[in-house]
Amino acid sequence: MKDAIFVRPGMSAGEIVSRVRNLPGVCFTSTGMRDAGQSDYKNRLRFYDLITLAPFYNRMGLFSAECHGGARWHVGIMNRRENPFDEIRHLRQQMPNVLLQTLIRETNLWGYRPYPKNVIEYVIGNVDIDVWRCFSFLNDIRNMRVAAEVVMKRGKLFSPAISFTQADWADDAYYLSVVKDIVSLCGGVDEIILVIKDMAGVGSPSRITTLVDTIKQAYPELVIQYHRHATDGLALPALLAAARAGAKILDVEEDSLTRFYGQPPLLGVHAYLEEAGIPVHLNVAQAAAAVEKVREWINQYHWAESPFKGLDYRVHQHRMPGGAFPSSFEQAEKGGFLHLMPAILTVMSLFNQIIKYFDVTPGSQITWTTCNGIVNRYAKENGEAGVRHLIALLESFVLEKKQDFDAMTPEEQKELLTLFRQAPGDFKNLLLGQYGKLPMGWPADWVYKSTFDKDWKEAIANREEESPLDLLDDEDLTEIRQQLADQLGRRPTQEEFILFLMHPKDALDYFGFRVKYGESPYVLPTNVWREGLHNTGDAVEFEINGKPFSIELVSIGAEHEGVIHVIMKVNNKTRVFTVDTPRAKKTEVRMAKGCNDVGSPINGTLWRLGNTKRGVLKVGDIVHKGEEIANIEAMKMETAILAPFDAQVVEIAAKVNDIVKEGQLLFVLEEKE
Amino acid sequence: MEKTINRILIANRGVPAVRVMHTCIDRKILTTAVYSTPDRLAHHVTMADSAVYIGEAPPGDSYLNMDRIIDAALQSGADAIHPGWGFLAENHEFAQRVLDAGLIWIGPSPEVIRLMGDKIAAKEIVQQAGVPTIPGINNVATVNEIIDWMQREDVEYPVMIKAAAGGGGKGMVKVEHEDELPQALARVRSESKKSFGDDKVLVEKYIERGRHIEVQIAADNYGNVIHLGERECTIQRRNQKIIEEAPSPSLTPELREEICGKAVTLMKAINYSSAGTVEFLFDSATNKYYFLEVNTRLQVEHGITELITGLDIVRIMIDVARGKKLAFQQEDIHPNRWALEVRLNAEDPRTFSPSFGWLTRLTEPHGPGVRISSGVYEGALIPSYYDSLLMLIMATGPDREAAIRVMDRCLSRNLRVEGVKTLAPLLLSIIRHPAFMCGDFSTRFIEENMTDLISTFVENGDEDEALKVAHYVAAISALGPQDWM
Repeated sequence: MKDAIFVRPGMSAGEIVSRVRNLPGVCFTSTGMRDAGQSDYKNRLRFYDLITLAPFYNRMGLFSAECHGGARWHVGIMNRRENPFDEIRHLRQQMPNVLLQTLIRETNLWGYRPYPKNVIEYVIGNVDIDVWRCFSFLNDIRNMRVAAEVVMKRGKLFSPAISFTQADWADDAYYLSVVKDIVSLCGGVDEIILVIKDMAGVGSPSRITTLVDTIKQAYPELVIQYHRHATDGLALPALLAAARAGAKILDVEEDSLTRFYGQPPLLGVHAYLEEAGIPVHLNVAQAAAAVEKVREWINQYHWAESPFKGLDYRVHQHRMPGGAFPSSFEQAEKGGFLHLMPAILTVMSLFNQIIKYFDVTPGSQITWTTCNGIVNRYAKENGEAGVRHLIALLESFVLEKKQDFDAMTPEEQKELLTLFRQAPGDFKNLLLGQYGKLPMGWPADWVYKSTFDKDWKEAIANREEESPLDLLDDEDLTEIRQQLADQLGRRPTQEEFILFLMHPKDALDYFGFRVKYGESPYVLPTNVWREGLHNTGDAVEFEINGKPFSIELVSIGAEHEGVIHVIMKVNNKTRVFTVDTPRAKKTEVRMAKGCNDVGSPINGTLWRLGNTKRGVLKVGDIVHKGEEIANIEAMKMETAILAPFDAQVVEIAAKVNDIVKEGQLLFVLEEKE
Repeated sequence: MEKTINRILIANRGVPAVRVMHTCIDRKILTTAVYSTPDRLAHHVTMADSAVYIGEAPPGDSYLNMDRIIDAALQSGADAIHPGWGFLAENHEFAQRVLDAGLIWIGPSPEVIRLMGDKIAAKEIVQQAGVPTIPGINNVATVNEIIDWMQREDVEYPVMIKAAAGGGGKGMVKVEHEDELPQALARVRSESKKSFGDDKVLVEKYIERGRHIEVQIAADNYGNVIHLGERECTIQRRNQKIIEEAPSPSLTPELREEICGKAVTLMKAINYSSAGTVEFLFDSATNKYYFLEVNTRLQVEHGITELITGLDIVRIMIDVARGKKLAFQQEDIHPNRWALEVRLNAEDPRTFSPSFGWLTRLTEPHGPGVRISSGVYEGALIPSYYDSLLMLIMATGPDREAAIRVMDRCLSRNLRVEGVKTLAPLLLSIIRHPAFMCGDFSTRFIEENMTDLISTFVENGDEDEALKVAHYVAAISALGPQDWM
């Protein structure tokens, strides 16, 4: 295949859609740079390694590269210390032919709270992405409105996704009604690509056949893309079924990246479909080269893999999405309740029949925290017997009594009525309609009684029927930007501001990390990033602005009083680096914080407490506004500290002749009338 | 009668001590350094031919301790003492005691130092010599005296309260409002008492947007007084100069001649000898100039005058002290270049808070048109007790623009200091500021433009970036994989 490129950035949405329609067979989206790494490696695959795939992607003939969004954004700033904007810039440079695709959670974008219209407009308007895949965990299409409007107005490709699960209540008629909402929101089928988002990987070949077929019959011109995780082991036949039924784009990942919970393997899918007579648009040589390239670095990520390895057909019951699978196990391992995972998965499979929505962010987190909370509570109170009892109760209610609350014994009823008493706030918000409408309507009343106790009627009365988009007032962006400016002590860039809008606390932490450690996340190979250097003579080389730099380890000293000295050669110059260990004795300097605290304005020597007139100041003394209460000397210059208001001295935090730091607490005062 | 000097004790540390030693080495004169406890390994100590320990860190125990210093001179066989600048350089009592000990004092006579050190007395003499002075009131003890004077002479705020014995920007407070008067007066008196041992105070009208211009004088014991041109030292922070240049960009040739002439007249009138400086405040709005003070010592910024005249002012001081006549006359002085100096202080460039510690790395600027006058070396300790000056960076060129270009190169590419913060980012921002480039500034330039200047700070080069990476590698190598990963 000479020129495999059939769509490229800059094309209009309509042109892209029509080019896909006109392809003889199917084409691929590679999720190698996003979902693949999220599902099996908890988003820890670093840009340093992923960027090595860019030259191959650039010639592979992909429909798009999903390289952005989802949890990759948040984990990027929090754990990998990478900025999603930097990633886009480098990808644009190294694979200019490829459509860059992100994944957004409708009103949440990449964050965890619903944003008002003006924030969504501002953010989408300032992120350079070609394909905007957007889903709602409730399939509440009203929530997609602003995102759809902004993306389409900017001439980018909007790719609405329906969250898919296989359940008796989620039938073709239901999905068709969701698609209808989408088509009407987007003004037709010519400028969108519809995604069936099978985030747990539960679509059986026959189920997918009828679903795609039903949609195609209603909307023959609609381009359908199938996104499926491989968790249940049936991904390949399901993909073939989707393609046969008329899906044009399939999500795949590099075979060498494939583990258990991500997308199916690229070359395998290609061979399987071609054998079945479906042409696949792909430069196989480039794809194979990318698969090979992955092998060069993937073995450095064993630490990021799930502690639970292997396919899991039970996903059909518990429905945990591929992206949440490894992180849940990690959390269970860290929390010391890994042994409870089978029980939690069982409870999840019963829970999702009581409260019906789609297990994908943030729904999957709500399910997970609610269910693991309940199981942990029972385990704590009554051990394994308690957990067995819980499962028996729920099985009896859901499976035997078909959720007929009145059919349960009074004792069982009483227990069910406390089941959700300690549910997390997000679960409550879900019941209150804060995320939107539930796909099958609100849960039964007993769920409200169980969750809200005496206030249950009020909760139902206050249940919100509107979309969060219509509930939230615009936020004052100027004011939020000023908050960030105050934190940074300078004007933030637009990108910094957007990072802050999505994850305020983690963004600040990230900015601090980058100030301290600069380009480390981008220039260090993964083994050094993760483990550092071990032996004398171990070296790492990298470039900054094309200039080579070399860091060579000389020695690592022993810990002494919480400090380790590391000696390294940086470009052949020997340097000593002081590393504080977590046990470092913090000679903590108290800083002035509150409005009653008086701090030192400069670094210097506190040479006088009080003033010449009154002499030394003591705790309990009354001072008057403007009165000198201390004096700092630095380089023979005196700086008087004046009482900010009439006050009583509550505490004196420094002694005469102390060397004090700028901002160090000197006095605590209490204002006097 | 000419005297012989075989060995000079330099009663100083850091930049001035090293500077004086350079000339001594050129002149084949042996040197004795003095040092305090934290200065054991200081640059000036290793550089000298011999060194004498004079006491603990506080200046009063060491560099201001006259007995110890004179003892050190006698003990090391020095026949002369050069005080550098700062510490005892303008202390007439010390000068007198040096002479009394039978040693040669390299500087003006104790009488002249005393006279000019008393700002009030100096002002009277200056007025008699026909040099304009700033309207003011002397010997102030109470707030009411100040208020009365202001009413009487119709003076408006702001006013400046100064220690009569002060100098070098210390013991000066600007007062904007009557409410601040008591506080400010008390502070100046206290600072003055502490720094200069005298709490006499004077108050002057504050000249808004003034410029600081000074004339370098060289004089011998035979009545020859010659000026070496002027310097402009307007760029100051907290009343201390940080950028100086020679010549001044704000004077016309006529004004230059007039001001330099006045300086010579004044110095002749007081019988000055050795090197010294007459400082003026220049009001560019009215083209008026006012006498500020006479600095009876070698000045920090003397180097730029050396660069434009080709003279060695320390050498002149030594020769005059030996009883020689000046080897040149006024008509021999032809400044033919522009020179710029910045003071590289160990300070936070945003807050001017001093930065102490070890200079872990130091690369000094070099290349065409550069002179470095340093008091430190890589690895040196910057103790918290003394002046924060690390080095003086001087740049020359055929004209002002060229000199600024050389300085830009020094600060942006050549200089590297690690371990302590320096003023370098601020200095670079200033010399790149359009108002500085066209010579349009006042002593308030920094306070008026601070936000602007900070916003243009360039702090990181690629090497800094590499060091951040190295810092990360060090941390992970020592601590292993981190939880947050």
